[in-house]
Amino acid sequence: MVDTLPPLSLYIHTPWCVRKCPYCDFNSHEPDTHGFTPRDLPEAAYLDALLQDLDGDLALAAGREIQTIFIGGGTPSLLSPAFYARLLTEIEARLPFANPIEITLEANPGTTEQQRFIGYREAGINRLSLGIQSFQPAQLHALGRIHSGQEAVTAVTQARQAGFTNINVDLMHGLPEQTPQLAMDDIEQALALAPEHLSWYQLTLEPNTAFHSHPPILPEEESLWDIQDSGHQLLEQAGFKRYEISAYAHIGHQSRHNLNYWQFGDYLGIGAGAHGKLSYIDQSGEWCIERRWKTRQPDAYLKRMNDLRGFVAGKQLISVDELPLEFAMNALRLTEGVTLNTWRTHTGQSDAMLLARLQSAEKKGLLMQMPEKLRASPQGLLFLNELLASICDESSVKSDQR
Amino acid sequence: MTQENDSKIKHIRNFSIIAHIDHGKSTLSDRLIQTCEGLTERELKEQVLDSMDIERERGITIKAQSVTLDYTAADGQVYQLNFIDTPGHVDFSYEVSRSLYACEGALLVVDAAQGVEAQSVANCYTAIEQGLEVLPVLNKIDLPQADCDKVSQEIEEIIGLDATDACRVSAKSGIGIDTLLERLVRDIPPPKGDPDAPLQALIIDSWFDNYLGVVSLVRLFDGTLRKGDKIRIKSTGRDWGTTEVGIFTPQRKQTNILRAGEVGFIVAGIKEIHGAPVGDTITHTKTPDVARLPGFQKVKPQVYAGMFPVSADDYEDFRDALEKLALNDASLEYVPENSDALGFGFRVGFLGTLHMEIVQERLEREYNIDLLTTAPTVVYELAMKNGDVNYVSNPSKLPDMADVDEMREPVVRASILVPQEYVGNVITECEQRRGTQRDMQFLGNQIQLAYELPMSEVVMDFFDRLKSISKGYASLEYNFERFEEAKLVRLDVLINGDKVDALAVIIHRDHAHPRGRLLVEKMKELIPRQMFDVAIQAAIGGQVVARSTVKALRKNVTAKCYGGDVSRKKKLLEKQKAGKKRMKQVGRVEIPQDAFLAVLKVND
Repeated sequence: MVDTLPPLSLYIHTPWCVRKCPYCDFNSHEPDTHGFTPRDLPEAAYLDALLQDLDGDLALAAGREIQTIFIGGGTPSLLSPAFYARLLTEIEARLPFANPIEITLEANPGTTEQQRFIGYREAGINRLSLGIQSFQPAQLHALGRIHSGQEAVTAVTQARQAGFTNINVDLMHGLPEQTPQLAMDDIEQALALAPEHLSWYQLTLEPNTAFHSHPPILPEEESLWDIQDSGHQLLEQAGFKRYEISAYAHIGHQSRHNLNYWQFGDYLGIGAGAHGKLSYIDQSGEWCIERRWKTRQPDAYLKRMNDLRGFVAGKQLISVDELPLEFAMNALRLTEGVTLNTWRTHTGQSDAMLLARLQSAEKKGLLMQMPEKLRASPQGLLFLNELLASICDESSVKSDQR
Repeated sequence: MTQENDSKIKHIRNFSIIAHIDHGKSTLSDRLIQTCEGLTERELKEQVLDSMDIERERGITIKAQSVTLDYTAADGQVYQLNFIDTPGHVDFSYEVSRSLYACEGALLVVDAAQGVEAQSVANCYTAIEQGLEVLPVLNKIDLPQADCDKVSQEIEEIIGLDATDACRVSAKSGIGIDTLLERLVRDIPPPKGDPDAPLQALIIDSWFDNYLGVVSLVRLFDGTLRKGDKIRIKSTGRDWGTTEVGIFTPQRKQTNILRAGEVGFIVAGIKEIHGAPVGDTITHTKTPDVARLPGFQKVKPQVYAGMFPVSADDYEDFRDALEKLALNDASLEYVPENSDALGFGFRVGFLGTLHMEIVQERLEREYNIDLLTTAPTVVYELAMKNGDVNYVSNPSKLPDMADVDEMREPVVRASILVPQEYVGNVITECEQRRGTQRDMQFLGNQIQLAYELPMSEVVMDFFDRLKSISKGYASLEYNFERFEEAKLVRLDVLINGDKVDALAVIIHRDHAHPRGRLLVEKMKELIPRQMFDVAIQAAIGGQVVARSTVKALRKNVTAKCYGGDVSRKKKLLEKQKAGKKRMKQVGRVEIPQDAFLAVLKVND
């Protein structure tokens, strides 16, 4: 039965940052407020906790091969190479690794040095994701970043020297006081570093962030549109291919880990506040998909060591009714979409059940008319939220009829 | 007639209180009830007669109710005082005349600080016409601004009632209440009638009670009614057995008997109010030939509006709720209506816009139904070229104008009483609303204006507007006068070329352009940006008189979405979906409810 389940990835969360950025709504915490310094994090305790956390998830995942690992944060590069070396060894002792496996580490250009990169590479990490965001002092300052543009350049150089051949650069656009020209300069500088992958996000103001309560002045809508349009062209001209709303890559360098999310694959999530999604076949032969999430606060998470409650803060089965939306939310982010077969193999449900929910989106011209494919039209990619909301609508119509 | 019966009827006094809103009718009635010990202190809830929540909140009476009080007068005799409450808002003036019909007298209560108001004048005339003894009462005499002499003079000048020895009271503090009760017993005549004659009783009001069925408030003119009697409703010819007979104290109290001259309730197993129509006559089954009392004119709705459930799933509940409301509100009319934009609903007729607001509020509050109400419209008369005369109360049902010879709008005669310093404002307002002045009289410190005004101008927000331009002093009373030809047009609203039926209004041609401009601008503010440009046009016939555009959004997509935050992103989408559910679809365009209400609010 196990071979029929979707591919499995592993997400590892590290919850600490030197400084919380005002736009960031991830589960990240400044260690100072928790009694540590960024150079003196409770690595040993966290490592033990992560492994115990993983052991708690093994019941449903034992024997399944791990395709990719992504270490995100927070700022994973605050933790030492030795930490990761041991962590990855221990994980492999519990779950088989695919060959080749993709192991990504997120790094902040302000927290790295040559030795660390070498250590990470030696620990088995083979992909780096650098949170550069911008190269311009004004924008970096507005974003509250702890590094300069020059440090970002240095970080990439060091990573290359350490042997990383698969590097992602995170860039943001639509930043405070950013003109279209400044945004293009950022892209040009990123391209000069020749990354394999480029994640290019528009800054959005999320709830529970400093920016949400004290919003910065952002470029006007037409200017944003201009940035998006020119930036896209610039990237494509440089040989990058946009494969997801905000993700660009050279051929063969798409993020396998993120692709697995967007194709509705399975993933374990360990670490403070990590989310996982796991499919399994229950005793009655029913296909079940469970989401579970872990205790969020780093201190509380550490205290769950040897606690009978375990690390899980909550779990929920995705009801069959929710599947079309859950699937589309992910799959339709991919510019090429997915095949209908992906729906079948990743949810265990019939095509008809999905197609019934897509009718109004189809009518609005938000989907491509391609048999055996689920893919947003160019308009659908621009208005993905509209598209998804129309899927919700149908589910509500259906439940109302009941 | 026996001596005993004769003495009984001589000790009955049936009366109403005529008063403008805020002039203290409720306080006075509470005080009367308390003084006669109809209720103990503890039981005396504030404003006991206004029992509906909405009545209490808005401080107005909508339905007539009654209370029977025993009063021991200075002469040592016990009198039965039957106080029949009357509504105090212009929308409900018809209810007043029917309450008055059951009385021999009325107290005209005037705020000694504010003076006479138009509504009271009109009701007072009705009382005098019906031959009632009207007792002027000056209330709130303990207020520092009270000017009893001036107000007495006003009563004499405006109403023509001798007010030299008007009772001066303060219902709030109890001053003068004893004198008032004595005067009431002395001046208001006892009813006439023979308890031994065949039963002849008038239905003053009927309402539906969930436990008892229909309860009717009745005034007996002749005869005696006992529990268990077989009765006949004259108009329907149907017979019923009375199961309960009694009075309100103000709680319902069974006495098992009512005699000529008395006011009380009966319950006879009737299941719907149309089975005991207001104004009908009741007699005994055994005396079917008793004459019908002159009833009341059936009131016709003056204002119509479409009401649509926000969620189509509520349609059935909405229909049930309207049915239930109509059980207690004979003036409420409704027929199914189907709107392209708003789906299935009802066209509902009301006595006025306040009545409309109250009905909407009750439906939403008591029956928990979210409603969208379209702009209220009056009834227009259409003289067709083929000689037919049609009436239209729904702008979207207006026939092809090529077939219409003449379009006529209802015109009312409005009487407005206003202190001199605000008369300029009031005249300006009336002129703007296409009014024609018919009369202007100086009455003491106040001026009485008579205007002919299109009813459509009066029902919208005229009353509120009058109040606000006169610091609350102006008062209004109006009656339908006639239909009159007018240059009327239908102003349509088109969204991306589709006519939105629920937004159409019938309007005077001279007002159509500015209103069209205001309307499209307001709609532009309220319609959210969508995937495409949304053109909003106001048009008369084929001619566009105003337009504006809601520019398309460039995009609507979440920049980031990874495994971990899927549930959060999903919640956002569900919020968006909930918002969409409250939107109405016109063609491809999603329109929020607020935009439909914009038609009502362009004057703000």
